[in-house]
Amino acid sequence: MNKMPFYKRFIYNQKLAPYVFTAPFVITFLVFFLYPVISSIIMTFQNILPGRVEFIGLENYRRLNDPIFFKALGLNLRYTLWTLAILIPVPMLLAVLLNNKHMRAKNFFRSTLFIPALTSVVVAGTIFRLMYGELPGALMNQIIGLVGLKPIKWLRLADYAMIPLLSLAVWRWTGVNILYFLAGLQNIPPEMYEAANIDGANPWQVFRHLILPMLKPTTIYVITISIYGGMAMFTESYMLWGGNRSPNNIGTTIVGYLYRKGFEENNMGYGNTIGVVLLLIVLVVNLLQLLANGFFRKEKDA
Amino acid sequence: MKQRARHITILQILLFTVLAVITLFPLYAIVLASLKPTTELFRFGLNVRWDLPRMSFDNYVYLFTGQEGYFRWFTNSLFITLIQTTLTLFVSCFVGYGFAMYNFKGKNLIFAGVLIVMMIPLEIILLPLFRLMLGIGLVDTYVGIILPFIAQALPIFFFRQYISGLPHDFLDAGRVDGCSEYGIFFRIMVPLTTPSFAAMGILVGMNSWNGFLWPLIVLRTQSKLTLPLGLASMLSPYGNNYAVLIAGSVFAIIPILTLFFIFQKYFIEGMTAGGVKG
Amino acid sequence: MRRLLTLVLAIAMLLSLMMVAPASAAEPTKLEFWTFQALHVEFYEKMAEIWNERNPDRQIELVVTSLGYDDMHNKLLIALQSGTGAPDFVDIEIGKYANYLMGETQLVPLNRVVEPELDNIVRSRVDIYAKDGNYYGICFHVGASVTYYNQEILEAAGVDVNSIITWDDFAEAGKVVLEKTGVPMATVEANDPWFFLQTLSQQGSDLLTPEGEPNVNSDAMKKALGFYQQMVKDGTAMVAPGGGHHAEEYYGFMNFGGAASVTMPFWYMGRFTDYMPDLKGKMLVMPNPVFEVGQPRSVGLGGTGTSVTNQSQHQDLAVDFLGFAKLSEEGNLKIWEIMGFDPIRKSLWGSEELKKPNKFIDYFANFPFDALIEVQDEIPAIVVSESLPKTMTAVRTSIMTRVFEGMEDIDTVLAEEQALLEQTPN
Repeated sequence: MNKMPFYKRFIYNQKLAPYVFTAPFVITFLVFFLYPVISSIIMTFQNILPGRVEFIGLENYRRLNDPIFFKALGLNLRYTLWTLAILIPVPMLLAVLLNNKHMRAKNFFRSTLFIPALTSVVVAGTIFRLMYGELPGALMNQIIGLVGLKPIKWLRLADYAMIPLLSLAVWRWTGVNILYFLAGLQNIPPEMYEAANIDGANPWQVFRHLILPMLKPTTIYVITISIYGGMAMFTESYMLWGGNRSPNNIGTTIVGYLYRKGFEENNMGYGNTIGVVLLLIVLVVNLLQLLANGFFRKEKDA
Repeated sequence: MKQRARHITILQILLFTVLAVITLFPLYAIVLASLKPTTELFRFGLNVRWDLPRMSFDNYVYLFTGQEGYFRWFTNSLFITLIQTTLTLFVSCFVGYGFAMYNFKGKNLIFAGVLIVMMIPLEIILLPLFRLMLGIGLVDTYVGIILPFIAQALPIFFFRQYISGLPHDFLDAGRVDGCSEYGIFFRIMVPLTTPSFAAMGILVGMNSWNGFLWPLIVLRTQSKLTLPLGLASMLSPYGNNYAVLIAGSVFAIIPILTLFFIFQKYFIEGMTAGGVKG
Repeated sequence: MRRLLTLVLAIAMLLSLMMVAPASAAEPTKLEFWTFQALHVEFYEKMAEIWNERNPDRQIELVVTSLGYDDMHNKLLIALQSGTGAPDFVDIEIGKYANYLMGETQLVPLNRVVEPELDNIVRSRVDIYAKDGNYYGICFHVGASVTYYNQEILEAAGVDVNSIITWDDFAEAGKVVLEKTGVPMATVEANDPWFFLQTLSQQGSDLLTPEGEPNVNSDAMKKALGFYQQMVKDGTAMVAPGGGHHAEEYYGFMNFGGAASVTMPFWYMGRFTDYMPDLKGKMLVMPNPVFEVGQPRSVGLGGTGTSVTNQSQHQDLAVDFLGFAKLSEEGNLKIWEIMGFDPIRKSLWGSEELKKPNKFIDYFANFPFDALIEVQDEIPAIVVSESLPKTMTAVRTSIMTRVFEGMEDIDTVLAEEQALLEQTPN
């Protein structure tokens, strides 16, 4: 063995191999994730001016008592809750229906519902911005006009701002989530349906006692990425309001506010503080969610 | 019983047809709008009225001849997407293989890292990440856009799941045949995972083609802009350039749609086969 | 032999160097320019062409980058502070300008070209970009606030535009217009302050105190906002569709006779010619009404200062070119011809050159500069300080929309916003 040239010893070394294989991730993780996170945390205690950095203790955290920050936080929280409430059950149900063996043209519907996901947020945002225009002739106002409602200034009044945001999300993500659930459904062996049928279970019982438990891993995954996406939502708002600004901040998101403070107003310290708070929220919410769903328990059993 | 099943099927098909129409409707509206003069838009808002005498391809002609940026942005995006997708797929498969095939000290710790990155929005570290790019001179370069996201958590997770589901005996077979550890990966593994490449390829490619916030921060020079950035730059408080924005948006969907229809079969199969098994 | 060869080679090299040197001097120097406005590109390219004809030995080649409004300003700030990546010269909008004067200024003083022209131009248009006696930017235009009236609607209502002297006249005329034609007299903006700021300067007030501190909770603010809010209540004014006078919804609305007038700066002309083609021949450009006769009827609003950055390798050339483009008679004439702005070189306003038909002259029912010449001594500038960006943000995103869209109580809104502004760091 020792007579082998170095590179051969290297490439045949089974102990070393896994570290080489995972090295690209470890390096990216350290350089482009861990280091920025740590420096981000450090910057929250600083006031950063060109050529001058001073430690200001918790001043940036005290500054968080800021009505616009809370407004942005509220928007992301509501948005996340709504997307969870809509984008989990509906795609799940549609996936179950699509998976039905009597269903026709499965491929066609699956692909069609997926198409919106292929459009970028920039493109989709442009379309929805125009659809929710405030003129009586704009699409959404025409549609609500059919049932006798008056035109609405969708993008300028706080009461309505959630509707364009949410419908954009539903439009773009339904097809993706259907696909995730369809993938999960493939894990249920056909014999289990048959067994359930022989036991005389009705469709609801099949769904409740067979499909739902089997879809749990998929559901956990979709919830995790939905929380991630909901709390970090930015581009949707940017496109709907044509830039990082909206009347009375009705469309300002946490990331948008972070961007405004950090880049537009060049207040890196405060911008990073907003980021760290967002990080904590997402981490805590996701860990709680995973805990509640028994994710860690399952890992231990396995 | 059979009768009932058929009724249900018809209802189901009806339901999905309605959903498909709703889904495609916004796209239909924007394609229609792209064929009308933008003054129509100012006057009536986005609508789906046919107005043949006033409809033309003028906006598209303007897109490619009236102003120089669009074609450039388009090729830039194509270039970045191609490079990023290829690199990310390869690297993620490489890493995923490591997780799936070996047991080693620290594996759980490193994999916890993957899970954490999957859970935490990268937008949070924008500011320090940008400062890092500034420090190492990667601002306004494509390397700066691509490099930080070369080993992405989601594809790594996906490939780990996918490869775990494959039989492991070829590892030993390969060793017996005298392959090196990496030889096994390149010669045996890569061909085996190709079907799953299509699925991940579309997902990664989609994200890259549509990427917005990070390129927005990294890029500066106009000739380097990507398509989404170029389009978004048509919005300004002093008036939006809707001719470019709308026709450009429609045209931007085309490549990714084409790709999707070509690889559709693999995509759906790959997604459902590899899937997320938790 | 070898020594001779070396000598020959050395001479040859020297010669070739000398040959190259003058040739490279005639090569145009590349100047990088950033802007957020496509119209400005056209202007600078035209000016570079003229410059190159005049200065064959100092040729320039513009390398233009045109980015989104926010995006360009953000990237410029980062480039200037990180010390790399900034262009040679750049357009900076007035609302953002103070950000670039903070701390150690990264821009180059233009005094060398500005000072000799001070008497020929509207001084306030360089004062707003100055700090500690250094002029860092030159504006494109005066941005004098004027009122554009739709003659057709006024005639239909039987209102004589010349009888509108005060805001009270304006409100009364509004009632007649509403009654006779059913359309509002004016529109207000919920996301911009352009229609409104002149009512502050008329009362000798401003968004900022003379010292540059936020001053939104002032009596002048209350009076002016109250006036417009009352008009909205009466139905003689409404929030512009789309929220402001730059919204596409508004263009469509106005184009088809949606309102009888709009108060906007002079530079708004281009929006009429480009987006409201059907109003051609119907629009009058007039001085603004006032609260009391004798108050200044206009104010210079908006603006974009072009500045040279200290990262430029060709600062002298960039400064000279900028001075030529923005201060010379030809440059100012082109500013009018290409963009329809009121050039800062006021000596030009009465000249015959301006009367030559162009798309702006053809569009308006009267000669636009008549209104300008009439008020030329009544155009103060607004106060600019480091507090302006955040104050403008508050006006744009909060105050206007709360007062006109939410119809909230003005005293409450202003007190709250003032308190918030005082808490917010610059």
